[in-house]
Amino acid sequence: MSIRPAQRSREIRTAYLLLAPAVLLLLTVLAYPLGWEIWISLTSFSPLQDGGTRFVGLDNYRRQFSDSQFWRATLVTVVYAVVTSLVKLVLGLGFALLLVRPFRGRTLVFLAIFLPWAYPASVSVIGWYWTLSPPIPTAYAVFMGNMKYIVDSALGGGAWAFLSVTLFNIWRGSSFIAVLLLAGINAIPPELFEYALLDSKSAWQRFRAVTLPLLKPFLALAVFLSLTSAFADLANVWMLTAGRIVFPVIGTHAYWLAIKGGQFGPASALSLMLVPFLLAALLVLFRLFDRPAREAT
Amino acid sequence: MNPKPWWAKLGHRTLILLVTVYCVFPIYFMLVQSLKTAQEDVFGNPLIVVNPTFENFEELFERSGEVRGFVGSALRRSYPFIDWMENTIVVFAGSVLVTLMASVAAAYAIGRLRPPGFHWWRRVIFATYVIPQTILFVPLYQVVNALGLDDNLLALLLIYPTMALPFCVWLLSVYFQHLPREIEEAALIEGASRATAFFRIILPMSRPVLVAAGIFTLGTIASDFTMASVFLLSAHNQTIPAGLGTMEVALDELLAVAGINLMAIPVVVISALFAKGYVRGLTAAMVEGA
Repeated sequence: MSIRPAQRSREIRTAYLLLAPAVLLLLTVLAYPLGWEIWISLTSFSPLQDGGTRFVGLDNYRRQFSDSQFWRATLVTVVYAVVTSLVKLVLGLGFALLLVRPFRGRTLVFLAIFLPWAYPASVSVIGWYWTLSPPIPTAYAVFMGNMKYIVDSALGGGAWAFLSVTLFNIWRGSSFIAVLLLAGINAIPPELFEYALLDSKSAWQRFRAVTLPLLKPFLALAVFLSLTSAFADLANVWMLTAGRIVFPVIGTHAYWLAIKGGQFGPASALSLMLVPFLLAALLVLFRLFDRPAREAT
Repeated sequence: MNPKPWWAKLGHRTLILLVTVYCVFPIYFMLVQSLKTAQEDVFGNPLIVVNPTFENFEELFERSGEVRGFVGSALRRSYPFIDWMENTIVVFAGSVLVTLMASVAAAYAIGRLRPPGFHWWRRVIFATYVIPQTILFVPLYQVVNALGLDDNLLALLLIYPTMALPFCVWLLSVYFQHLPREIEEAALIEGASRATAFFRIILPMSRPVLVAAGIFTLGTIASDFTMASVFLLSAHNQTIPAGLGTMEVALDELLAVAGINLMAIPVVVISALFAKGYVRGLTAAMVEGA
C-alpha cells in the first residue's frame, strides 16, 4: 500500500498518543523511584542519622564486597533462583507434555494444574505459612513442629522456613510455566510433528528434534519471569519467615538494611546490583523471541 | 500405533493422579481448615472435616460491627471484612480495566501503526521488569504522597497496572503485528476510519488474546501483598490481602483461613471459566510471535 507522507506522519502522531497512557503510568510509578534509588545508592542518606547527606560515590557498592552478609545473601539468592527455576521448568514442561495428548478427564487435570497459579498468591502464601508453622495447637501442629525441628537441626535455624518459601515458589511457578508451555506447544504447527513421526523412531528423538527447539523462546520467557520474581521475591520470603531472616536473599537483606537499619544507601546499591544480571537475561530473551531481522519486513 | 501395554497405561494414570494431588492438595487443605469448628481444628484429623460448618465465614461478616466492650475488644478484634471485599472488587476490577485499556492502546500503536523503532518501544516497556521491587516502595510512597493518594485505593489503581502492563503490551502487540494488513484495508477502502476498523474488526478478533491478558493481569495483581499493605493503612480502606495481614494469627487462625477462601474462590472461579481462553489467547499470540 502506498501511503502519502502526510498520512504517515499523522499515523505516527496517533501512535505516540496511544502509547502515552501506558508510558505515563510506567513513568509515574517507576521513574522517580528508580531515579531516587540510583541517587540514594551514591549517598550516605539515612533517616536515623543527624547531619546532612553526603555524596559518597561508589562507596556503597564497594562496601558490599567486604560484607560477609552480602556474600551470604548472594549465595542464597543464586542457589534459590537457580534451583527454583530449574525445578519449575522441569515440572512445568512435564505437566505441559502430559496435557498435550488427549485422555479422559484432561480438562479437569488441566484445571488442577492451572489452579496453583490462579489461586491468589497474596492469600495462599498466608495460608501456606500458617499451615507449615501453625500458630496455635491445631491438630497438625505437632507434626509440623517435628518437621521444623528435624529440618532446622539438620540444616541450621530457619531452614524449614526457607524450604517452605522454596516449595511455595515452585508450586505456584510450575503451574504458570506449565500453562505457558502448553500454549507454546499448541502453537507448533501439527505438520511438523507428523513429519517427525515419519522421520524418527523414538518419542525422545522427536521431542529433542521438534518440541524443544521450537519451545526455546517460551522456555526463555518462563525463565526470565521466574528469575525476576525469584530475585525480587521479598513478600513471599518475608511472609513465610515472619521476619526471622536467617537465610537472607538479596531482596530481604536490602529490606532489612533499609527499614530496620536505616541504611538506605547500601540497601539501594544492593538492589541495583541485580539489574545488570537481569538485563543480561533479558537480552538473551530478546534475541530468542523478537529477532529484529524478521521484523524488518 | 500399537495399543499401549497395561503398565504404560497404569503409569500414565498414576502420574496424572500424582500431579493432580500435588497441585490441589494445599488448596484442599486450606478449604478443609476453614470449614472446621475450633474443637475439630484442635482435636480432629487435619486432612478431613467431619462436621463442616460455615461459622468461620459467618463470623467474618458478623464481626464487621463495632467493638463490644473493653474485654471483648482486647480478645476479639473486629474486622471490617465487608469493606475489604468491596475494596478488593473495586481495586481488582479497576486495575484489570486500566491495564487492558492502556495495553491495547499501546499494543495497537506498536503492532499496527508502527512508529519508528517500534520494537524498541516494546522492548523498553518490557524491560521495566528488571527494576527490583525490593525497597522501591519507599520512594514510591513519596510519589503517592505527592499525588495526595496516601491511604487511598487510587494509589493501587495506579501501581497495579504497571505490574502486568509490560507483559500485556508484549502479548497484544505481537498479536496485532502479525495480523495481515488486508484485514483492516478492506474496511479502510470502504471509507471507514481506522478507529472504526479497530473497534469493528480487530478488537472482536482479538478476544482470546484480551482474555489471556486479562487473566494474566488478575493473577498478577491478586498475588500482591506488599503494595496493598504499604499503601492502605486504615482498616476500612484495606483490600483482603492487606487486611488479612493485620489479623491476630494466634487468635483468629480459622477466621483468617475463611477469609483466604472468600478472597480466593471468586478469583479462582473467574480464572477457571476463562482458563481455556487463556491458553488459546497465549497460543494465538505465539503462533506467529516466535
